[in-house]
Amino acid sequence: MKYGLLAAALLATFAAALLLGPANVPLGDVLASPILWQLRLPRAVLAFLVGGALGASGVALQALVRNPLADPFLLGLSGGAGLGAVVAIALHLPGPWALPLAAFVGAVGAMALVYRLGLIGGAELDARILLLGGVAVGAFAAAITTAIVSLAEATELRNAFLWLWGGFSGASWTTVLVILVYAPLPLIVLAAAARPLDLLALGEEPAQYLGADVRRLKRLVYLSASLLTAAAVAVAGVIGFVGLIVPHVCRLLWGRLHRTLFPTAFLAGGILLTTADTLARTVVAPRELPVGIVTALVGVPLFAFLLRRWTVS
Amino acid sequence: MRRWTQRTHLAGLVALTLTACAPAEHVPVRRGMAVTDDAGRRVTLAVPARRVVSLLPSFTEILFAIGAGDRLVGRTTWCDYPPEALAVPSVGDGMPPSVEAVAARHPDLVVLYRSGPNVAAAEQLERLGIRTVLFDLNLVGQLGPAARRLGVLTGQGKRADSLARVMDSLASQPPAPSTQSLAFIVWDNPPIVIGAGSYLDRLAALAGARNVFHDVSSPSAQVSIETIAARDPDLVAVLTDSAVPPRYATRPEWRVVRAVRTARFLFLPGQLFGRPGPRAAEAIRELRRRLEAAP
Repeated sequence: MKYGLLAAALLATFAAALLLGPANVPLGDVLASPILWQLRLPRAVLAFLVGGALGASGVALQALVRNPLADPFLLGLSGGAGLGAVVAIALHLPGPWALPLAAFVGAVGAMALVYRLGLIGGAELDARILLLGGVAVGAFAAAITTAIVSLAEATELRNAFLWLWGGFSGASWTTVLVILVYAPLPLIVLAAAARPLDLLALGEEPAQYLGADVRRLKRLVYLSASLLTAAAVAVAGVIGFVGLIVPHVCRLLWGRLHRTLFPTAFLAGGILLTTADTLARTVVAPRELPVGIVTALVGVPLFAFLLRRWTVS
Repeated sequence: MRRWTQRTHLAGLVALTLTACAPAEHVPVRRGMAVTDDAGRRVTLAVPARRVVSLLPSFTEILFAIGAGDRLVGRTTWCDYPPEALAVPSVGDGMPPSVEAVAARHPDLVVLYRSGPNVAAAEQLERLGIRTVLFDLNLVGQLGPAARRLGVLTGQGKRADSLARVMDSLASQPPAPSTQSLAFIVWDNPPIVIGAGSYLDRLAALAGARNVFHDVSSPSAQVSIETIAARDPDLVAVLTDSAVPPRYATRPEWRVVRAVRTARFLFLPGQLFGRPGPRAAEAIRELRRRLEAAP
């Protein structure tokens, strides 16, 4: 029943994303229209893949740090991505790929730094140190970003921030290809870690006794989740909230087993973000809303509803 | 602080003396050197401003156009027109203004664009005893009133009034019959276009081109590529000093827009089109010429 609903939502989401839009494409011509093939379809697919990546990444990180507030962007990634993007603009790096690539490099750099901090003093990616390190690295990167912005030319940087706040305006088959290249490997690693992650929920020592290689597990999960998030940043900027809320929604609906959590969070994240993007580009037409605003506007009431139902039952 | 106070007192004293000695017609006592600026502040000067710092290229152009260019003792790094402006010392990029750099020029009037940081800077300058005036300058219709008030404050009323009349007539003219449509695309990811609440929208209308985003009331707005494709402008106008098509022109998602696919770009140099100024009429003529020459 729940799976049936998920499938129906998926279909409805894509139908809306492909059929709705400011350009009036008659139903009969839809399949021949470049508006569909070059704009609506790559945009819907990209939003779906990014939403899925963020949802799965959120599940993994919340399991890793055993903290329900963990979010793919809490661990310093958004700060690193912002710094990368701003540096690319300030240095006038040429080419349409300079900005996404620099954001990706920045995110991975922040990830590496937090990871290194997590190993300090022989600690094995202690959850508390990861969270604190993430916040600290994020704040540091944000400070450097602000310094560059206040010293450099203003207009271009303002636009860089617009890009960084996230959205799918620049979606094309190339960006879809980028995330299709990056996402599968970390997703496979996470899927393979589903069972040990269930054990980790019992605590690190019990998990170790039950046969999980906790040390290796934590490293792999951290790197995979961060790479997924960095890939999402590279193609769509920083889109918050999906990675925080979607895992909770899925846990409420499908329970705590990661074997079901990963696929359902991927699908639900994709559905949420594609729907949000369809709303973002149609509700205030001809203008467009930043997709992150819509994600929050759609997601929070949904989340509140589920939370209420859950606490009542 | 005390020095500044003394300076203003001295200026007042000088003004009194001047009023006493000078022939009446030279001193507009009745009008005074008083205007109300766009922040609703009453700005009064005892004598016409002699040392002016302009913190916006448009104000610099207006001051030169009304014959007060020789009073300028400070400008921003962006103020590059007319060429004489480059001889005036720069006080930085003005975003936000460096209050110290401005004060170091010992101005008796600082002209600022009304924005949040500038209002704060104006308050700081006033505390140092330096008079400031804040103007809105986003639309053709705001050029005339700004020029007129700058004329009052610099004692160049006559020339300012004639400039203001030209600007006012541009603001009230009915738009020319449009033969072509265009979209101003100022950024590609996310796509940002110019709407009706802007200087460029009015320039286009007067030059005989219809902005396809005239229904968007704000100065600029984020839209989707699909919306641009659906509005199907004949031309895409780009503010640039070069004549190279923008980088996004080769990307498949942008080629859905007919004007991008057929490379119908209108390259508008930023110095003339990127800011409202006394050369608005020149900009309209130039835009009309470029529209006629468009491929």
